[in-house]
Amino acid sequence: MKSAALIIFAVTALAQLAVPLWQIRTHEQVLEHGTIIRLKCRAPDPYDPLRGRFLAVSPEDTKVSLSTIEALTHGKSIFITFTTDADGISHPASRVAVPPSSGPYLRVKVAYTLLKECEFRWPFDRFYINEELAPEADKWFAERIRKKDGVIAEVRVLGGRAVLSDLKFEGKSFREILKERVKRPGS
Amino acid sequence: MTEPETPTAERTQAAKVLMGMLGALLLGAGLISVLAHNWDDYPRSIRLLFSFLPLMAAQAGSFAVLRREVPTAAWVRESLALLQTLATGACIALVSQIYNLGGEWPDFLFWWFLLCLPLVWVMRSSAVAVFYLWATAQWAVHQSDNGVWYQSAMIYPLLLAGLFPFWPGWRFDRPLSIPLRWVMSLSALIGLCAAAYASVRGRENDYSFFRHADCLWVLTAAALMLLPMSRAGVASPLRQKPHIVLGGMIVVGVTLFATMGETTGYWTRAFAKGMQVPWAWMLIAVLVVFAIMALNARRALLVAVAFASVILVPAVIGVEAQVIQWAMITHLFLVGVASIGVELTGRKGAPILGTLLVCALVAARFADSTQSLLAKGITFLIAGAALLALVVIAARRTRPTS
Repeated sequence: MKSAALIIFAVTALAQLAVPLWQIRTHEQVLEHGTIIRLKCRAPDPYDPLRGRFLAVSPEDTKVSLSTIEALTHGKSIFITFTTDADGISHPASRVAVPPSSGPYLRVKVAYTLLKECEFRWPFDRFYINEELAPEADKWFAERIRKKDGVIAEVRVLGGRAVLSDLKFEGKSFREILKERVKRPGS
Repeated sequence: MTEPETPTAERTQAAKVLMGMLGALLLGAGLISVLAHNWDDYPRSIRLLFSFLPLMAAQAGSFAVLRREVPTAAWVRESLALLQTLATGACIALVSQIYNLGGEWPDFLFWWFLLCLPLVWVMRSSAVAVFYLWATAQWAVHQSDNGVWYQSAMIYPLLLAGLFPFWPGWRFDRPLSIPLRWVMSLSALIGLCAAAYASVRGRENDYSFFRHADCLWVLTAAALMLLPMSRAGVASPLRQKPHIVLGGMIVVGVTLFATMGETTGYWTRAFAKGMQVPWAWMLIAVLVVFAIMALNARRALLVAVAFASVILVPAVIGVEAQVIQWAMITHLFLVGVASIGVELTGRKGAPILGTLLVCALVAARFADSTQSLLAKGITFLIAGAALLALVVIAARRTRPTS
């Protein structure tokens, strides 16, 4: 009985370590070898841009066209491909049944479908920042509430997975903008 | 370490366990907060290493405890098991934070509780059992809307089965504590109701089914009431059987409410629709099996209370709402009277609950505006006379012969 308990514990402990290690392995591969796609994000809600110590990231494009009218179940995983416009911004192109042999694609979850359009949820929705930078981010968004310039999310995509690597504004990393503001208050 | 026998020693033991759990909780939370404070200043590899350290330390502690020949104090086992549980969740959450991973928190919760379930068995940890029960119920409620069946609340019964050694009524090394029984009963009720809703939700393009999960919830509560118990469990006081208390409250409450003329129509329609779902018939089958086992264990009164919910089932074959209404009123009245009357025969009944049930029925009839005062008056006169006659007969039978 004791040896059975030890065996079960050992398997459990290994599984508890294996899950985060597997997360690390798959996402490190995405960061190292993934294709960069740039997505324009909606201006965040100025009254609640932060939850805890991360920024809510919400890409503007949340719909993809379907080749035929189909009722996809809420929560079902699908693959989507991308097109890139002249500004280098990627947009969802179409839903595919199987992963394509070339080009970036992503696994997303269905929110709902309406005729030949499918609303989906991106697999990322937050960008973590240092708690000391958080109040500065709040001020930054409040100053830019009326501006139409969007924040660009840089996402690495590989094998249907995505890792949000950076948020940029006017070509500059958002973290760096905030760090500069903290160093030079009032700028 | 031998089990304490005196009440004072038991309270001291419980205090040690609670203090140990709180200590583990604060330790885990503090480590997470301190490590995550200045994340950006460390390179990714260092952050990842720090994410694993608390988990590995907790695992080492648990392993040392399990290897010991001499049984370890309960507070040590509970503290380490809880610390390991928290450290597991923290490790996964911190790795997600490092890679800015989003996703749904129920997915995170799912893997978290699944990875910690074996700790309930090997460490015999009530704290982790409570976490598991809370987490599975939360997950089930959130997933009741998921259209993919194996990702929905429909798998909740399988998850509950993971705590098989802790099921009430089954033999295990020591009885479950009363707080753990209450948590288990609440989790089971919530999770099974979420599973029932998910089964109805699965029928797409017919939104009327959403309203009729109510009938499945009543049948679920009835099945929970009749869960088989050991002889010791049956003989224990009602406060130690929360599944009967919670299930009974729902069944009696709903059926009482359903006897009101205005709501009988709603409940008969709910059952007429809800009984078309396979899950409903599975619940009926479970109810029948549990009822047979309960009758064998001489728990006829409990079966009678639970079966008040089944009286609504004939609505599926088109039985009139008024017929069902009177059948329910009669059934509940007889159950109430029987609960009191059984005591008159010298056997164990439930006189207080029976009285409350009959009073509630009377109050419901007074409030029911769909029936005439004359009909109500005649019914009350007959029922009252019958009760008094019953008491007179019972008194004469039990009068000592001179």
